[in-house]
Amino acid sequence: MSDLGARFAAYLQHRWPQASSVEVETLERIHGGASRETYRVTVRTIEGGRESEQRLILRRDPPSSLIETDRATEYRAYEAFYGTRVPVPRPLFLETDPRWLDRPFFVMEQVVDAVSDGRLLAQTPYVDHVETIGEQKWRILGEIARSDPASLATRLEAPALESCWRRELDYWERVIDEDELTPQPIARAAIRWLRRSPPPPPRRLSVVHGDYRTGNFLFDAEGRIRAILDWEMCHLGDAVEDLAWALDPLWSWPDRERPGKLIPREQALAIWQQASGIEIDARALGWWEIFASVKGLAIWISSGREYADGRNRDLIMVLASWFPTAVHDRVLVERLAPTGGVDDEA
Amino acid sequence: MKPEVDFVLRSMMVSLLTEVAPAVGDGYVRSDVEVIAGLMAAAAEEYDRAAHVRVEENEAMRRIFRSAAPSVLDAGLRSRLEAAAAERDTSLHVSDLNAANDRLRALLIELHALVETRDEDWARRANRAIWDGLRESVNRRAISFWPL
Repeated sequence: MSDLGARFAAYLQHRWPQASSVEVETLERIHGGASRETYRVTVRTIEGGRESEQRLILRRDPPSSLIETDRATEYRAYEAFYGTRVPVPRPLFLETDPRWLDRPFFVMEQVVDAVSDGRLLAQTPYVDHVETIGEQKWRILGEIARSDPASLATRLEAPALESCWRRELDYWERVIDEDELTPQPIARAAIRWLRRSPPPPPRRLSVVHGDYRTGNFLFDAEGRIRAILDWEMCHLGDAVEDLAWALDPLWSWPDRERPGKLIPREQALAIWQQASGIEIDARALGWWEIFASVKGLAIWISSGREYADGRNRDLIMVLASWFPTAVHDRVLVERLAPTGGVDDEA
Repeated sequence: MKPEVDFVLRSMMVSLLTEVAPAVGDGYVRSDVEVIAGLMAAAAEEYDRAAHVRVEENEAMRRIFRSAAPSVLDAGLRSRLEAAAAERDTSLHVSDLNAANDRLRALLIELHALVETRDEDWARRANRAIWDGLRESVNRRAISFWPL
C-alpha cells in the first residue's frame, strides 16, 4: 500500500475508534479532477470481530488547482443536499489538519456502479437511456434552483438580487486579469458587452451549483442519475446562471442541438422551467450564456497559467487550456459578432 | 528525405493510443497517455501552420489599424496605431511572431473598446472589421482533432 494509503488508513482509524482494524485495500487516483486530487478507495475494517468493506472517495486539495475553491463550500453543499431530491454522495468527514495528508481533504461514500464520462453516452448500455438521463439532468438542475438557499446561507454570501450578475462577472474578469498569458480580444469584447447590457435580476436568490454539466454527474447502466458531483464553485445567485452553463455548447461540442449530448435544448428548457418554477427570461438567459463562455475562458486561461508557471503540471491543465479555449472563443464570436456593431446596440 | 515533425507527432499519437495506452495497467496513467496523444495531435496541426497563422493575423490587425488610425481623435492612440501599422514581421520565429501578436492584440482591444460605442461610419466599419478579423482568427486557430 502506498504511503498515502497508509496515512489515510491512520486517519480513518482516528475517526473510527470503535474499529479494531482499518486497512486501505486499494487506492486509485481518478483522472481529470483538476480542482482536487480525487481517489477511489476500498477500505476493510474490523469492528466487534466483524469484517466489512467500505468504498470511499477521498478528495484532497492539490498543491495548486484549476479553480481556486473552498473545499468547505463543496462539503457543505453535499451535506445540504444529501437525502433530498438532488442526489449526492453521502459526505463523511471534512479535515483541514495538514498532519494527516499534508493538505486539507474530505471523504465521502463512493457511489458504486456508476460513471461520469460523457463519451459513454454514445455507447451501450448508456446510449439506450440518453432520453431519460437527459430528463433527469434538467429536472435535477431545476430542483437545485427550487431548493431553499437558507441551507447554505450561513456558509455562502447572499448577494443582492440586482448584483448577482456583477459579482460573478467581476470575479471572473479578475481571474482573466491575473492569469492571462496573452491579450484576449474576444474575452475582453464579451466582458464589455456584458457590462453594457446587464440582465434583469432574478426574482429570488437560488443555490447555484456553479459547474453543472455532463461530466459532473454519475449515471448508471439503468439510466439513473445517481449523484451530482463537483460542487466546489457552488454559490448563491441567479439560477439562470447554472442553466446557461449547463447549456453551453462546449459540453456537447460540436453538437449544438443537444446540450450535454442529451435531449434537445427546447425540451431541456421546458423541463427545467417546470422543475424550478422559474419562468425563463430570454434576455437573462442570453446574457448568462455569453457569461458562461467568458467564465469558461477564465478557467481555461487560468489552467494555462498554472501549467506555464509550473504550479500544476497535470496534463489536464494543458488540455483545458488548448481545446476549450478554441471552442469558447468561437462561440463568443458567433454570438456577439452579428450584434457587436453599434447598429445593434439599442 | 526524413519524416517531417508533424508526421512523426501524428504517428506517435497513433502508437500511444493503439499500443501504449492499452498496455498500461494503471487507469490514471493510461488516461494521461491518452491526453498526451491528444496534445500531440494538436501540436502536429500547430507545427505546420504556426508561423503562417501569426503572420496573417498580424497583417490583418495592421490593416485594421491603418484604416482606422486617421479617424482616431486621441493623438496618442492614433500615433501608436500608425506605428503598429507600419511595422513588419521580419523574423519568422514563432516566439518573435507571438511577441508582435501580443502587442497588436493589446492595441486591438484598445481600438475595439473605442469604436464599438461610437455612432460614426468609420467606427462602425472598424468595429465590423475587428469582428471579421476575430472570426478569421478563430477559424485559423481551430483545432480539428477533438479529444473531449
